[in-house]
Amino acid sequence: MTTDIQKADQEILRIGAPAKSERKINTSSKPLIEFKKVTMQYPGRLAVREVDLEIREGEFVCLVGQSGVGKTTLIKLLTIQETPTTGEVYVAGRNLADLRSKEVPLYRRKIGVVFQDFKLLPQKTVWENVAFAMEVCGFSNAEIAKRTEKVLDLVNLGRRAKNYPHELSGGERQRVAIARALVHSPKILIADEPTGNLDPVNTWEIIELLYRIHQKGTTIILATHNRQVVDRIQKRVVLMKSGKIVSDQHGGKYVI
Amino acid sequence: MSYKLETVLRIVKLGLNNFWRNRWLTLGATLLMTLTLTMISVFLLFSFIVRDTAEAIRSKIDVTIYFTDDAVADEKIMALADRIKSQPNIQEVIFVNKKQALEIWQRLPINEDVKKPVSDSYNPLPRSLQVDTTDPDEIQGVVSSIEIADTEKLICNECVSYVKNKDAVNKLVSITRLVQRVGLFLSIFFGIIAIFNVLNIIRITISARSDEIEIMRYVGASNAFVRGPFVVEGVLYGVLGTIITTLFIVLVSQIASGYISITADVLNLSFGAYVLHYIWQIIGFQLLIGVILGVVVSVISMRRYLRA
Ligand SMILES: Nc1ncnc2c1ncn2[C@@H]1O[C@H](COP(=O)(O)OP(=O)(O)O)[C@@H](O)[C@H]1O
Ligand SMILES: [Mg+2]
Repeated sequence: MTTDIQKADQEILRIGAPAKSERKINTSSKPLIEFKKVTMQYPGRLAVREVDLEIREGEFVCLVGQSGVGKTTLIKLLTIQETPTTGEVYVAGRNLADLRSKEVPLYRRKIGVVFQDFKLLPQKTVWENVAFAMEVCGFSNAEIAKRTEKVLDLVNLGRRAKNYPHELSGGERQRVAIARALVHSPKILIADEPTGNLDPVNTWEIIELLYRIHQKGTTIILATHNRQVVDRIQKRVVLMKSGKIVSDQHGGKYVI
Repeated sequence: MSYKLETVLRIVKLGLNNFWRNRWLTLGATLLMTLTLTMISVFLLFSFIVRDTAEAIRSKIDVTIYFTDDAVADEKIMALADRIKSQPNIQEVIFVNKKQALEIWQRLPINEDVKKPVSDSYNPLPRSLQVDTTDPDEIQGVVSSIEIADTEKLICNECVSYVKNKDAVNKLVSITRLVQRVGLFLSIFFGIIAIFNVLNIIRITISARSDEIEIMRYVGASNAFVRGPFVVEGVLYGVLGTIITTLFIVLVSQIASGYISITADVLNLSFGAYVLHYIWQIIGFQLLIGVILGVVVSVISMRRYLRA
């Protein structure tokens, strides 16, 4: 655990250094994430149909499509909240279906997730919300204090540490959620409609933060149906329509 | 501080925090737990009383020899008593003379009209020897001992009463057994209802925390941290339930002590003192049931949030 933290600290220190994304993404190596003919059948609803998708380390992927097309389902398959009806999901070469139940929590620490509704605990302060994510993973108090301070500084909320979520703006709340998602220095950060509840100013603040995190080397998956956001980011755009991927373009725009 | 200890303390703290934060719900669960434990304790106490009184009554099975012929001198009867006493299996032999027989008669809970005619001047009550045995199941041996001791043939036919007595006792014992079974049935019945209530309310307290469980799982909490606080909470229900139930039972038994005479009559112990005599056994039983019930119900109820 300690080595992870140290590595993470180094990663954070790297912010401001030359952006990793400006280096060429290595397309010859094995993909970090791989969906192979994945189908997800809910009772009475086919949410994902034979999806093939590869995401390489260091990519910024916008997962777009109208409400109900299966974006969240795809994310749930990646966080092992659902298991595919058919097909396989590989992360770093490992089939997620093969993970033993004890390995699942450890796997989840490698992927950070943020949501439209933030999912903060209302009775905990900003600091406590972030520290909680490490407490329940068994880190020592000293490690937690050090790390919490770092990630809160990273999202620029060091001064709001003692505030409760209801005392913050929507954008600030989402930044707390992002800080929490970063405590384990995940390789992948998944954001499911993170700006869905935010006004334009706060939206850009969050997108800018995600971009910064991406620049230090984290793979980002951003599910959204906000056309302006997608068009402005100018990264890879994966478009879904009724459970299928209908287009996949680099430096793309949100086209229907 | 060692890593393990820090982890355990943190889990306990999470459990206590949860308990306090949802205090109205957890108070409800604690009260339902108390109800369940009270039910179980009352039954336990009840079975202790039935068992002890049955035993006490059984140990009182003695052999009584009546002397209907008033012509026989007291001295001869007392000499016979001494001879019986020297036989094996005999614990004590008590001589009841006419005066004492009258006193006993006057104390009997029977109709005054029947009681009145018998007095100092008219006393047809027989004198008797009460033979206490060391082992109530060895009555037959005692009876033969008495026959051996009766060298002067003072004892008339049908004057040794024990069979009748034994039947009455056996009847009493079987009635107490029946009462015990009915009690067991009732307490199982109410116990199950109470357990379902505990199950339901603990479910509600857990669903009030489903957000927290969800977040824990997203951030990769180990299962010990997801489940641990609920185990702590389950233990807490058991311990608090035991404390409240014990206070309640002790209080009620002390107040009711004067009104419940069965233990005083049969066991020479007031009801309050009787309950205190067994209090550690009752506490131990409550703790065992309460903690197991609390933990099992908590862990089972939260399992569906651990799925996937
Ligand atoms: N647990 C579920 N049970 C049944 N149907 C579901 C469930 N979750 C999602 N769905 C359905 O699957 C489809 C895809 O949903 P979702 O992945 O949430 O879409 P999106 O995130 O793109 O809006 C929707 O039609 C939704 O109603
Ligand atoms: Mg969605």
